[in-house]
Amino acid sequence: MSQIACGAGALARETLDAILRASTRSFTVLVAALREIFDESAYARFLDRQRATSSPIAYAEFLRESEIAKVRRPRCC
Amino acid sequence: MPKVFRVLLWTSISLLGAFALATIALHRGEQINAMWLVVAAVATYAVGYRFYSSFIAAKLLAIDPLRATPAERLDNGRDFVPTNKWVVFGHHFAAIAGPGPLVGPVLAAQFGYLPGTLWIIAGAVLGGCIQDFVILLFSVRRDGKSMTEMAKTEIGKVGGFVSYLAVISIIIILLGAVALVVVNALKSSPWGTFTIAMTMPIAVLMGLYLRRIRPGKVLEASVLGFVLVLAAIIGGQWVSQSASWAAVFTLTGATLAVLLIIYGFTASVLPVWLLLAPRDYLSTFVKLGTIALLAIGIVVLRPSLHMPPLTRFIDGSGPVFAGTVFPFAFITIACGAVSGFHSLISSGTTPKLIRREPETRMVGYGGMLAESMVAVMAMIAASVLQPGVYFAVNSPAGIVGQAPETAAATISAWGFPVTAAEMASLAHAVGEQTLFNRTGGAPAFAVGMAHIFSNSLGGQAMMALWYHFAIMFEALFILTVLDAGTRVGRFMLQDALGHVWKPLGRTSWYPSILFTSGLMVAAWGYFLWQGVKDPLGGINSLWPLFGICNQLLATVALCVATTIIVKMGRARYVLVTLIPLCWLVAVTFTASYHKVLNPNPRIGFLAHARQLASAGADARLIFNDRLDAAVAGVLVVLVAVVLIESTLEWARVLSGRKAAEVRETPFVMTQLALEEQR
Repeated sequence: MSQIACGAGALARETLDAILRASTRSFTVLVAALREIFDESAYARFLDRQRATSSPIAYAEFLRESEIAKVRRPRCC
Repeated sequence: MPKVFRVLLWTSISLLGAFALATIALHRGEQINAMWLVVAAVATYAVGYRFYSSFIAAKLLAIDPLRATPAERLDNGRDFVPTNKWVVFGHHFAAIAGPGPLVGPVLAAQFGYLPGTLWIIAGAVLGGCIQDFVILLFSVRRDGKSMTEMAKTEIGKVGGFVSYLAVISIIIILLGAVALVVVNALKSSPWGTFTIAMTMPIAVLMGLYLRRIRPGKVLEASVLGFVLVLAAIIGGQWVSQSASWAAVFTLTGATLAVLLIIYGFTASVLPVWLLLAPRDYLSTFVKLGTIALLAIGIVVLRPSLHMPPLTRFIDGSGPVFAGTVFPFAFITIACGAVSGFHSLISSGTTPKLIRREPETRMVGYGGMLAESMVAVMAMIAASVLQPGVYFAVNSPAGIVGQAPETAAATISAWGFPVTAAEMASLAHAVGEQTLFNRTGGAPAFAVGMAHIFSNSLGGQAMMALWYHFAIMFEALFILTVLDAGTRVGRFMLQDALGHVWKPLGRTSWYPSILFTSGLMVAAWGYFLWQGVKDPLGGINSLWPLFGICNQLLATVALCVATTIIVKMGRARYVLVTLIPLCWLVAVTFTASYHKVLNPNPRIGFLAHARQLASAGADARLIFNDRLDAAVAGVLVVLVAVVLIESTLEWARVLSGRKAAEVRETPFVMTQLALEEQR
C-alpha cells in the first residue's frame, strides 16, 4: 500500500516537475520573443558588438545604426 | 506517441472540425454559439498545419535541415541573426497583424457570418499560409531577397517593375483607406479624439525616457506608455462630459482628415526615435495584449451570434459596401485569408532571422494561421451584435438617411429591427453622441468587443471604457501603419527618384525627405479626402480598391512562387500555388471589372461618375470616381502582364526551350544542426 502511495507520489512529483519545466521554458521563450519584438535583444547585441555599456550615447548610436532598417520595415495592414 | 493513438487523435480532430464546419454552414433559424466558429477554425488550422504544410515542406519545397540559412552564414548581429523559432514567430506575427484582419471581417459580416468565416478559414489554409510560407522559404534560399527583387530575377524586369508599382499603390490606397477608418471612428467623438491625441505626447515621452533616462528599456517604457494611455482613456470620459473641453475635441471628418495628413507628414520627417519608434512599440504592446485578451474573452464567455449565417445582401445590395458575395466578400477580407502585403514581410526582416530551414514552416504557415484566427475573432465581435445595430452603425447616411428615425425605419424595413431609442441608449452606454452612420468597421468592432467584455468584466457600467479602449486600440494600430507606411513609401520613392536625379535618392538629404514625404502624404491624403467627401461614406469605394490592390500583390507573389517551383523541377506539385493563384485571378479580375464597368452606380466607378455628371454634381467627385477606375484598371492590366510573362516562362521551362535555372545561393552545410546534435 505504502509502495503504491510512494509510486503515486513520485509520479505526481515528476508530473509537477515536468509542468514547472515546461512553464519556465515557455516563460523564457515569451520574454525572449518580447525582447526581440521590442528591439531590446538588438540593443544587447549592439552593446556586445561594440563592447560598450548601456548609456544614452550608446543608445543614440544604436538608434542611428538601426534607423534605416527600422523605417524600411513594413507594418502590415 | 504510438501510431494508433496519433491516428485516433487526428481522426477525432478532423471529425470535430468537419462537424463544427457543418454546424456553422447548415444551421438555420436559431442563434449559434461563437465557439462553433472557434472550434471549426482551430481544428481546420491544426489539420492544415499538421498534414498540408508538412506535405508542402517535404514534397514541394524539399526543405533541407542541413542547409545553412543566411542568418547563420551571414550572421552580423544586426540584420542577420540566427534566432529562436518562437521568437521569430512572435516577431513575424507582430509585423503581419494589423488593422486589416479586424476591419475586413467586420465589413464582410453584412453578408452574414458564413461567407466570411468560410473564406477566412479556407483562404488561409489553402492560400494565405502557402503564400507566406513559400515566399519565406524562397527568400531564405536567396539570402533574404525581397519579393520585388525575386520577381525581377525570376520573372523578368516587367515582373520587378509591376511588383514595385503594386507595392507603392497598395501602400497609398491602404493608408488612405485605414486613415478613413480612423476619421470615421473619431468624428464627433471627443472621448476617442482626446485619447488618440494624448498618445502622441505619450509616445514622445516614451522616446525621451528611452533615450535619456533608461536607454534601451523598451518593454519598461511600453508598460509606462500603456499605463498613461489607460489614464488618457479614463481622462477622455471627463473631457467628453466637460462642455468646454468636449467642444475642443469634437471634430468633423474634414478637420480630422487634415490633422491626420499633418500628422503623417510630421511623423515621416521627424527623427524616428522621437515619435515613430515609441509609437510602434506602444502599438505593438497594446496589439498583442488586446488580441490575447479578446481570444480569452471569447473562449471564456462563449457569446451567441445574433447575425444570421446569410443575409439578403449577398445579392449585392448591401449598405456597408455594394457588390455580390462573389467576388466582394473575398476582396473585403484580404488580411486574415490571403494578403499580398505579407509577402513583403516574409521577404523582409523574417528570412534574415530564421535559424534553420524547417522553421520556415512554423513561422510562415503558422504565423498566418494565427493572423487568420484574429480575423475569426473580429467576425465574432461583429456577429454578436444585433443585426439591426450592426447595420445602423455601419450604414452611411447616404443610404439609410441622416435622421435616426429614418435610418432605424429603413434598416427595420430590411428585416433587421432596430429603433432610434435603442441606438440612443447604446450610444449613451458607450459614451458617444450617436452610433448611426459610423462606417468603416472600427466602431462596430469596438461595440462588439465592448459587448463581449462588459458581459463579464465590470458589467454595463464599464461598457463605455471598453468601447473607447477598443477604439484607442484600433486607432493606435492604424496610426502606426500610417506613419510606418508613409516612411516605407517615402524610401521607395527616394529609391526610384534617385535614378532620375541622384540627390533625390539620398535618404538623409533633408530637401529630398521633405519632397518625397510630401508626395507620399499628398497621394494617400488625396484618397482620404475623397473618402471623407464621398456621400456614400468612402469605405464603399476605398476598401474594395484596397482589397483588390492587396490581392493583386498576392497574385504577383504567387506568380513568383509558381515560377520558382517550375524551375525547381517540381512542376508535379505546382497546383499547391497554382490553385490559389487561379482563385485570386478570378476574384481580383472579376472585382476590378465590376468596380470599373458595372452599370450599377453603387458598384461601378464609371457608372457612378456618369450618374453624378447627369445630376450636375461637383466635378471633383466625378474626377474621383474616374481616378479610382483608372487605378483599378491600370493595376489589373499590369498584373495581367506579369501573369502572361510568368505563363510564358513556365511554358519555356516545361517545354525545354529554356534551361531551368534556380537562382538560389549555393548549398552550405549548417553548423547549427551539428552543434544541436552534440
